[in-house]
Amino acid sequence: MNRYDQYPATNNQFGAIPGQLGIGYWLLVIGCAAVALISSPLAAKEELVTLPERESVQLTIYNSEDLTLVRERRQLTFKEGDNRIQFSWANTLIDPTSVEFQPVGKDAQDALEVSDTSYPAESHQMLIWTVTCAKPAGYTVEISYFTSGISWSAEYTGLLSNDESSMDISSYVTIHNRSGEEYENAQVRLVVGVIHLVERIIDLAQPGQGGGRGMPQDKWRELEDMAEDETNEDPADGMARPKEIQKAGLSEYYIYTVEGKETVPNQWSKRLKSFTVAGVPMKTVYRLEPAKFGPHFTKVLEFVNDEDHKLGKEPLPDGIIRLYRDAGEGRLSYMGVLNSKYIPKGDEVKINVGPDAECTLQQKRTSFRKKDLSFRDGWLVGWTHVEEFELKVRNFRGRDVEVEIHRGMMGDWDFDSEDDWEKHDASTRKIHFTLKVNSERTLKLTVTTRNGTNTK
Amino acid sequence: MNKRLLLTLAGAAAISSVIGIAKPEPVNARIKLATLPDKEAVVVRFDHPHQVLVEEERTITLQKGVNTIDFSWAGTNIDKGSIVFRPVAADTKVEILSTSYPPGEAALTWSISSPDARSEKFRLSYLMANIQRETDYRAIVSNDEKTLSFKHYFKIRNWSGGTFDSADFITRDGKTFEKGLDQGEAKRVLVNKWDGVKLTKEYVYDLTRQYEGKVMTDYVLKNTKDMGLGAIPLEYGKVRIYQDDGKGTTAFTGEDWGQFTPIGDDMRLNIGIAQDIKVEFKKMVNNVENRRGNVYDTNEVDEYEIKNFKDSEATLILVLRVQGEWEMQKDSSGYESFEREDNETIKFKVKCPAKGEPVKLKFHYKRLNNW
Repeated sequence: MNRYDQYPATNNQFGAIPGQLGIGYWLLVIGCAAVALISSPLAAKEELVTLPERESVQLTIYNSEDLTLVRERRQLTFKEGDNRIQFSWANTLIDPTSVEFQPVGKDAQDALEVSDTSYPAESHQMLIWTVTCAKPAGYTVEISYFTSGISWSAEYTGLLSNDESSMDISSYVTIHNRSGEEYENAQVRLVVGVIHLVERIIDLAQPGQGGGRGMPQDKWRELEDMAEDETNEDPADGMARPKEIQKAGLSEYYIYTVEGKETVPNQWSKRLKSFTVAGVPMKTVYRLEPAKFGPHFTKVLEFVNDEDHKLGKEPLPDGIIRLYRDAGEGRLSYMGVLNSKYIPKGDEVKINVGPDAECTLQQKRTSFRKKDLSFRDGWLVGWTHVEEFELKVRNFRGRDVEVEIHRGMMGDWDFDSEDDWEKHDASTRKIHFTLKVNSERTLKLTVTTRNGTNTK
Repeated sequence: MNKRLLLTLAGAAAISSVIGIAKPEPVNARIKLATLPDKEAVVVRFDHPHQVLVEEERTITLQKGVNTIDFSWAGTNIDKGSIVFRPVAADTKVEILSTSYPPGEAALTWSISSPDARSEKFRLSYLMANIQRETDYRAIVSNDEKTLSFKHYFKIRNWSGGTFDSADFITRDGKTFEKGLDQGEAKRVLVNKWDGVKLTKEYVYDLTRQYEGKVMTDYVLKNTKDMGLGAIPLEYGKVRIYQDDGKGTTAFTGEDWGQFTPIGDDMRLNIGIAQDIKVEFKKMVNNVENRRGNVYDTNEVDEYEIKNFKDSEATLILVLRVQGEWEMQKDSSGYESFEREDNETIKFKVKCPAKGEPVKLKFHYKRLNNW
């Protein structure tokens, strides 16, 4: 039973109490088409009002868009002929164009047909279905709609071993409900993936209508009490245990289904554990790679989302990673926080943790000359720069480290070095080497750039 | 004998009272007599892409001689110049002699000649503004993404100032449904449903559609009978796509604007990003050559490394563009089979093995005669 169905139907839009929660109060009105209910100012005719129970609720929450697909099932009794069913959603963030009525099961589908959906002029948060019933009986129907204001996000906690050779990874999903509506005992599904939307749900839902503003204090207390009462009970031994999250692929997406039922009150968030893996082998590479990691020489933690790294069962959704290092004696040392992009199964993960004082790079230009000057009518029209650089990498760490340095050039240039450089792309050269513990290496390179008429 | 008949269409009045008002007595100084012919049919046609044509039939009692009929439409959005009034029967002796337009009024007067006293059925047609229409679609894709169930909805919203107690609404493709429609009210009706429609799924890399270089997932429907459609041209409208999740319910997998699709054409719908296919672009060669004065050619090699992290092989369509005069070089990947859509656009189809095994596409071309 919906917890708000107890409120009596009144003339103020189906019993909704102004400023309070929205579709918690919605009401289904069933009657014959002959009853001119709609043209009146929506006075709820008592003899036509039924308050069917919400049998089940399923939330499918997307992380790439502010979008949740809600499905509710209700048992309704239909008369033969046309039945008018009214659905309203005051003070919520529901997209009116998404609201659908669907009979559930073959009997219901054979007996019921939606003749039309009417959107009366007097309310932007209400619609009326005319449902033609061939065989009067009680049927289960599903009402589905999109709402804004419910979201989920992934979070990771990484605990690096003291020597940074491995990491314990814990993954969490956090559901946030700011929709203006409480969904009690809902089956929760989370969609990993980037869907295409052509209009934002919040815009379609008419912004400023929802958000559960003005909720009275007693309602807050009620919701708080309910949230505190929730436990994940295991009847076998009475011990609570974390809920499991089942993961399955669908088209280009993954669907995470949270075990059992969840209640997330309006304005609350809830965090659940997705998985924990201990001892994921890690590699540390120091990189100067401006195209990917910015202008600084930076430490990058690397692993692969595959079985060799105790992972690879599922892609890793984009989310926040909080990194700690084992400081010994069970204590943590905070390293930093950063955002991770979506990592497919089998793909490399590169976590940029920023510059590290224990492995540094010093760059300097040791020479700058101009040559091959050419003139036209006494004015300089062609010239060539010759620049020499030194890059010194020093490793103060107590272990060997890998280093990769990219050098990009602009214009018409030649690159020369005695070190073993490789071509990365048309304008970038790279060098990759291992630097022994407590050692340093100096790289020397010459860049010649032709300008003006000297350009090839 | 000269009889006057009043036809009124007032803002809040129903179309049922288009001809005649509820009062038998004259409404203004010009009216000598009003009769109240019954409404027989109202048809609202949407076959023009932008205009809405309303047609209504009335049986009017005429006296022998010249009859005068007034028609007014205060408060509604009727296009005065579009009004057509004529007898339904082709062989009638009744004749419309003239139409008069009183100054400053949303009204007109017809003079009708009748050879005898009779009842004659007339049809009145006019364009009506501010009746909005909208098409949208719901697609439920099978779990294997081979077929879909495609529902076509038609939604009308009435801001015309008139009210339709009951009318036949006719969509552009000829579907008819009978509904009432109040001023300000909208109605959405399922007009077509096709099951078992075949669909093609494509992975597309195209920087003009997705500037970050992410791979898009497209569904392509062919509007032909072979593919389960082909009955009507598909109107422009939003398509919301759900997929059977194999567990008795569906998940929403994306939406796109479906463009107007004539019979025989394709409707391409982007549902989202295929995050498990990654494309990395590198320009490996970018040289100027064959310089002649201020004119030069370029020699360019673009390399695309594609990794498909899915569990099964996938085909990626790369849509690449080069501006100006250019020639592809023979050492490009797939030189024998590439598809040059137009001068600027070239399409490559690349088979991408599963589980992240990289595949490289080399695109070697020269841009000629640049300055």
